[in-house]
Amino acid sequence: MNTERIMATMTKEVNEILRDRLFMTLAFISPVLMMLLMGYGMNLDVENIPIVILDYDDTPASRDYAYRYVDSRYFDFKGFVTNEHELEKLIMAAKVRGGIIIPEHFGARLASGQGVEVQTLIEGVIPLRANMTKGYVIAINAYVNQENLTGFLSRLQGIPRERAADTINSIRLESRYLYNQAVKSVWSLAPKLIMLILMMTPPFLTSVSVVREKERGSILNIYASTVSRAEYIIGKLGPYAVIALFNGVLLWVLATQLFLAPFKGSFLFFLLCTSVYAICTTGLGLLVSIFVRTQIAAIVVTMMVTVVPAMLYSGILIPLSSLGTLPKLLAYLAPAMHYSMIIDGTFLKGEGFATLWIHFMNLVIYTTVLFALSYSLFTKRPKS
Amino acid sequence: MVAWQRIRVMTRKEVQQLLRDGILMGFVLYAFTGDIFVAGSGMKMELSNAKMIVLDADQSPVSRELISRFHGPEFNVIGSANSPEHALQLLDHGKAMILIDIPSGFQDDLIKGRQASIQLQTDSSNSVLGTWANSYAAQIIGGFALEQSLGALGIGGDGSGPMPVPMVDDRHRVWFNPNSVDKWFIPVVEMMTMVTMLSVMLPAAAMVREKERGTIEQLLVSPLTPMQILFPKVISMTIVIMIGITLALFVVLRPAFDLPIRGNLFLFYFLSAIYVFTMSGVGMALSTVVNNMAQVGMMVILFLAPMLMLSGTFVPYEGMAPAIRWIMFVSPLHYYVEITLGILLRGAGIDILWPNIIPMTGIGAVVFTLSLLRFRRQFN
Repeated sequence: MNTERIMATMTKEVNEILRDRLFMTLAFISPVLMMLLMGYGMNLDVENIPIVILDYDDTPASRDYAYRYVDSRYFDFKGFVTNEHELEKLIMAAKVRGGIIIPEHFGARLASGQGVEVQTLIEGVIPLRANMTKGYVIAINAYVNQENLTGFLSRLQGIPRERAADTINSIRLESRYLYNQAVKSVWSLAPKLIMLILMMTPPFLTSVSVVREKERGSILNIYASTVSRAEYIIGKLGPYAVIALFNGVLLWVLATQLFLAPFKGSFLFFLLCTSVYAICTTGLGLLVSIFVRTQIAAIVVTMMVTVVPAMLYSGILIPLSSLGTLPKLLAYLAPAMHYSMIIDGTFLKGEGFATLWIHFMNLVIYTTVLFALSYSLFTKRPKS
Repeated sequence: MVAWQRIRVMTRKEVQQLLRDGILMGFVLYAFTGDIFVAGSGMKMELSNAKMIVLDADQSPVSRELISRFHGPEFNVIGSANSPEHALQLLDHGKAMILIDIPSGFQDDLIKGRQASIQLQTDSSNSVLGTWANSYAAQIIGGFALEQSLGALGIGGDGSGPMPVPMVDDRHRVWFNPNSVDKWFIPVVEMMTMVTMLSVMLPAAAMVREKERGTIEQLLVSPLTPMQILFPKVISMTIVIMIGITLALFVVLRPAFDLPIRGNLFLFYFLSAIYVFTMSGVGMALSTVVNNMAQVGMMVILFLAPMLMLSGTFVPYEGMAPAIRWIMFVSPLHYYVEITLGILLRGAGIDILWPNIIPMTGIGAVVFTLSLLRFRRQFN
């Protein structure tokens, strides 16, 4: 391999980039903008669920019960409704995601020591939200039941409330959260956005750049020249991989300084992995460019090959453990998932090469295979 | 009607151009069929197979009974740890996600009516998983605790027994999706994602391609008005995408996932067409500020990525920062999501959906007008 020829190809590519002002701006600004929009916008905690309450009883006891929902940070109380028809309309229009129906004689029955049935209507189109809503209602009812039963027991057996409470609240649960003590979703999200953004932007840069030459015919110069395949690939991708790496570091700064995500691991290791990942994603663009002949196809195919797996199969929105067999297979085959593990490990768990080496190796293997494939499929003597 | 004839001719040209790109058409086909199918195959936005490690210092029948309550599909008890350090090590290395720590004397406390304690340690590096795992585990423990305390009163776990108990019995009814199947929601969202991506990208790229090749100059010197140049591009893409939606609905979503179509199908098609128009308008508007394909690719992804992630499907609106929520008010996808989910899964009609239809159409009109106005000026 001749370094002069590599430098020549690279210099040409760099010049082309520099002369396209808008492109350069976009290449550096887009990742930052995306990070800001998605980092501030994506709050994965399911809270503030809009609900309404239908209170048929309207006694102090029922209002007290209703107030637990009004007061809860999990719910966003939108008001009382007077009949079921209103409630149905609101759920149908998705203005609220749930309704609590408190039956008549709620207060009277509880006071006389009898059980009551409270209905919860949940808008179930989005299963995750329906499940969380169910969970919160169950939690609130559990708390209410504990209080009521404590009073009931203390009256029944004539014992002081504290002793009754001990029996009723039979198990005291202490929950501790590790690595992300405040369970701030942005702490686990912002670092993952690095993975997402680096998966979505670099492939475009390369795929379009190579296919542009194909479309214009200037690739014939390469075909006819003494530049070898490897030299051309390195020269073409080099600048874009550097841009990707630079963006990666920039996003790291945003994640740690702006979103205040803790970074407990080794920055050097992170840099190393990000470099490999940057080379990998730019290489993906290269692979796409081999199969398409028009820029429009390059853009659409790249978009589908990167955005979709990045959104669905990388673990950022849907946890990997929740994927079925077929999607899980796709996830393991994609580099995003391994880089995601590395990010999780270095940011929140303070892990390093010792424990994350397997994901690092996966990235390296993936990149090598990708380039080997591209190298073998890229030909200077195409058939047509 | 010369104008209509021109539009018809130009539309035919656009469609032919599109069809001649075999690879592109192949991927568009895949987008509306294969991609949606994979998205619906076995993805659950639920806790599944969460690995739990047990530290049971009590080793009593009661503690073992409690542990047996943690099982699939949500939990996967992978074993017992030898010591607290060992358990934490497993969590550190990601071999387990949640640890349940039962101290000795657990059964004794419960029998004697004293308060027993349990500790849960959850890996919340993935905050979503951490919250789910802890909340489900807490529910299981809470249910167990209630049984124990009612048992002490001589009452069954559901409040039945010789004496009545003031308990609130919670009856859920989940509407539209009683079994909480994810196989409806996720593929439908994927279809919307594909529609969005293609409706913005295809017209924008087609326009920029003409700019790059210089064929736009030929169009400019012809008697065609900007409307007669832009409109055919939009119509041709709309036709392709509507065919795609049909394929998605009737070749994948209905057969493979039993997706119900509870509302008016024609209304859905009509509103989808408006949505595609609107997004094409966005694509066109973007194409007037860029000069080559690389730029259009970057520009479109800059718009698409946040719009898709913040569409209100995976991430609820309630949680977004206020500033971002305001920005999403001008995202047509926000309204299209409500329309699609509303018509397909809730059976909603125009009477309920008009607060979404009007803004979406409005945005479309504005964006389109912008593109038309910018069209001539972009060449100065």
